[in-house]
Amino acid sequence: MRGIRALSAIGLLGLTIFMLACGGSDGGGGQNGDDFAPDGGGGNAAADLRLLGGDPLTLDPAIAGDAGSASYIVELFGGLVTLDRNLQIIPDIAERWDISPDGKVYTFFIRRNAQFHDGKPVTAQDFKFSLDRTAKLGQTASATADAYLGDIVGARDVTRGRTDSITGVEVVDSSTLKITIDAPKPYFLAKLTYPTAFVVDKQQVESNPRNWTRKPNGTGPYKMVEWRLNERIILEANARYHLGAPEVKRVLYNLAGGSSLTQYENNEIDVSGIGINDIERVQSQRDALSQEYVTGPNLSISYIGFNNNTPPFDDPKVRQAFSRAIDREQIARVVLKDMLPIANSIMMPGLPGYNANARTPTFDPEAARQLLAESKYRDARGLGTVTMTEIGGGATVGFDTQAIIEMWRQNLGVEVSISQAESASFFDDLDQGKMQMFSIGWIMDYPDPEDIIDLLFNSTSRQNNTGYSNPQVDALTLEARTEQDTTKRLQLYQQAEQIILEDAPWIPLYFGRDHFVVKPHVKGYDPAPIVIPFLRYLSIER
Amino acid sequence: MDSGTTSYLVRRLMWVPVILFVVSFVTFALGRLGPGDPVRVAAGQFRDDEAFERIRAARGLDKPVYEQYYIYMEGVLTRMDLGESFRYQDYDVSEIIFPAIWRSAQYNAVVLVLTLSMGIPLGVFAARRQGTWADPASISFFLFLQSIYSLISVPFLLLFLALKLGWLPASGWPRDCNVTLDFLPQGYECIGVLSAEAVIPIIALSLPAVAIWGRYTRAFTLEVMREDYVRTARAKGIPESKVMTRHVLRNALLPLSTMIIFSLVGLLEGSFFVETLTGIPGIGRLAFEAIGGRDYDMIMAIVMLGAVTFVLASIVVDIVYTMIDPRIRYGARSN
Repeated sequence: MRGIRALSAIGLLGLTIFMLACGGSDGGGGQNGDDFAPDGGGGNAAADLRLLGGDPLTLDPAIAGDAGSASYIVELFGGLVTLDRNLQIIPDIAERWDISPDGKVYTFFIRRNAQFHDGKPVTAQDFKFSLDRTAKLGQTASATADAYLGDIVGARDVTRGRTDSITGVEVVDSSTLKITIDAPKPYFLAKLTYPTAFVVDKQQVESNPRNWTRKPNGTGPYKMVEWRLNERIILEANARYHLGAPEVKRVLYNLAGGSSLTQYENNEIDVSGIGINDIERVQSQRDALSQEYVTGPNLSISYIGFNNNTPPFDDPKVRQAFSRAIDREQIARVVLKDMLPIANSIMMPGLPGYNANARTPTFDPEAARQLLAESKYRDARGLGTVTMTEIGGGATVGFDTQAIIEMWRQNLGVEVSISQAESASFFDDLDQGKMQMFSIGWIMDYPDPEDIIDLLFNSTSRQNNTGYSNPQVDALTLEARTEQDTTKRLQLYQQAEQIILEDAPWIPLYFGRDHFVVKPHVKGYDPAPIVIPFLRYLSIER
Repeated sequence: MDSGTTSYLVRRLMWVPVILFVVSFVTFALGRLGPGDPVRVAAGQFRDDEAFERIRAARGLDKPVYEQYYIYMEGVLTRMDLGESFRYQDYDVSEIIFPAIWRSAQYNAVVLVLTLSMGIPLGVFAARRQGTWADPASISFFLFLQSIYSLISVPFLLLFLALKLGWLPASGWPRDCNVTLDFLPQGYECIGVLSAEAVIPIIALSLPAVAIWGRYTRAFTLEVMREDYVRTARAKGIPESKVMTRHVLRNALLPLSTMIIFSLVGLLEGSFFVETLTGIPGIGRLAFEAIGGRDYDMIMAIVMLGAVTFVLASIVVDIVYTMIDPRIRYGARSN
């Protein structure tokens, strides 16, 4: 008797959940208290842009450091300057700026019509508050403040907790802001396009320091309507946006994930990324999807890095031999299905300074064996054990890695073993120079060669994780840091790049490229090579 | 409940804090002592030792593990504060974890009801047809379903039910929630399981589980059917249907009820693959992300919630046992 009762109690529980839920559907027609209904009602669903997205890790521009968060932040907020689609620095909230003859003092003139979403005008004081706040958060919350504002005089005093106000950021009057940097660095302006330097509403931040990002009062082309963590984000066009109101009035992000292309084909989202399993299909003329296929480069590169300080890769000839033993063209064609272009340089197309004539050691098995024989290790046996580490769960090795390993075996007679580490451990080991050889990539933070040539190859840089050191490269990158003539500056980086390619601390593999399918009614979807506020360039025409 | 059982239960309850302490400390220490930390994970390839040290210090990550543990537990016990997410920096752990559990639980509840209502009749059917072809055929069919991995079943379901037939959406959670319970707190109102979106994940989650219940029911039923009192009942001329319901099923359900209680604990879990493939913002996916992102406080909260519910459920099972079967006595010495 009791056994039965216990069971029916559980059955009832299930039933109750059902009934409660159904009851709710009768009464709760409204959309959780919002003043619009996503389908019909206040909004025009046919005019919405529907995207699949991930949750931003934070919407606070001061601490955001990842591309995912930045892609939302640039739509919601703004700074003094921003990037257009050609990656040119253009005015945002500052309508113009002067640079002092010594290249160290920037005076920004803030446009009169710039407003926060709630209609409050943006002032120089707001920028002073925001930059000071970012630097203060740098003490405890995020390392991005040091990276992006560290060039400003006094910024590091704030991130180190010595003072509360950046001395190099001064309010001249409510529409004039003066920023002084420590050396005439032409790439400083590019750093200001990153969220770290964006303006926030002092009143909102101070009245609700923990939760204000749920519905931030920004200055960007879009306003936040709703952010339900893990479920959805709804953005609405800012009709008063100072660079022109966006055409797409509403953007819906599905944050719950799922199978992107299936949702796209089922007409649940308007844009889907294309992975390697689907690329042949969308490129095939016979498939209707090929009409909706869009591709474009992004500012990233994948490479194999050598630890230049430990055997056997302390000998440049060994590195060159490994480089020349790989047929990257074949791998790109067969394994990667031509999704990624081969990298023959370090700076990628689209980045100022890209050099189409840069020469990376080409595939030549004969030369590779010759180089290995000339090295101090003489032959494959002399190298000892060679291990390449990549990020992974330990189950399977990527086909491209397998191909590379096989080419080393065939062309050099070297058995390279693979070690996989999950990303947290990988970066730990990378940092401590524990790996002999590693497979990884680099995504540009801002479109300036300094962010890759100087940061990764100058021997004094903390980011230099190959341990590469060449006095010539050090001198060239140092000179480029403050060279005011743009052409000359880019030439310096190109010179440094050519030396690096010959020394081969890296094997550059492929440049980044994005592949999408986009519904025909979405116009202007031309993927940007780096995170920029780009929704405002789109329109929907049915 | 007799005094022996009561004192047994009291002793078991006294062990609970000890078990939870061990689980929590081991989880906490393993996370902290393992490679990588949330500050570095958040920074990716970016490096600034001085800034990292500063941020670690500000978050207390530079303190010895036992001290960090003390600080964390103090927050949990005195303020019910599960900490802040290192990953979703704008949210507290409890703001993320409970809605995710709630979403997974909705699916699991429906799945449990469905699988029980299919599995138990299946088991009884198979037991009664023991020795005929129907028994192995029905059980093998469901065993076959059980052995299809969700990584395979979900794409097939998506392909046919969503793309080919166009009957169902391909996402697993409604974007515009049509069924809401407005009296629930913010973030919990949506009853996403009552939507077209939920159908594919529910099928994917239910099919494998039917066989489990079917096989257990069959085994328990067969055991009871061999009992003397069943033969006696039949010999008395009681109709077979009554024998089955009154004598067989009732006794077969006793062991089954234990399993059902434990599977209620499972309501709080999530299936990583089904949630990822169909897009359900549930706890399975969240747990996976939390571990990859070294989201310490989130991992702690997820593991501890699992531990607490499991320990409590096993005590509940003991209590329920004495209630439904008076023959069971704990702690009573047999003379």
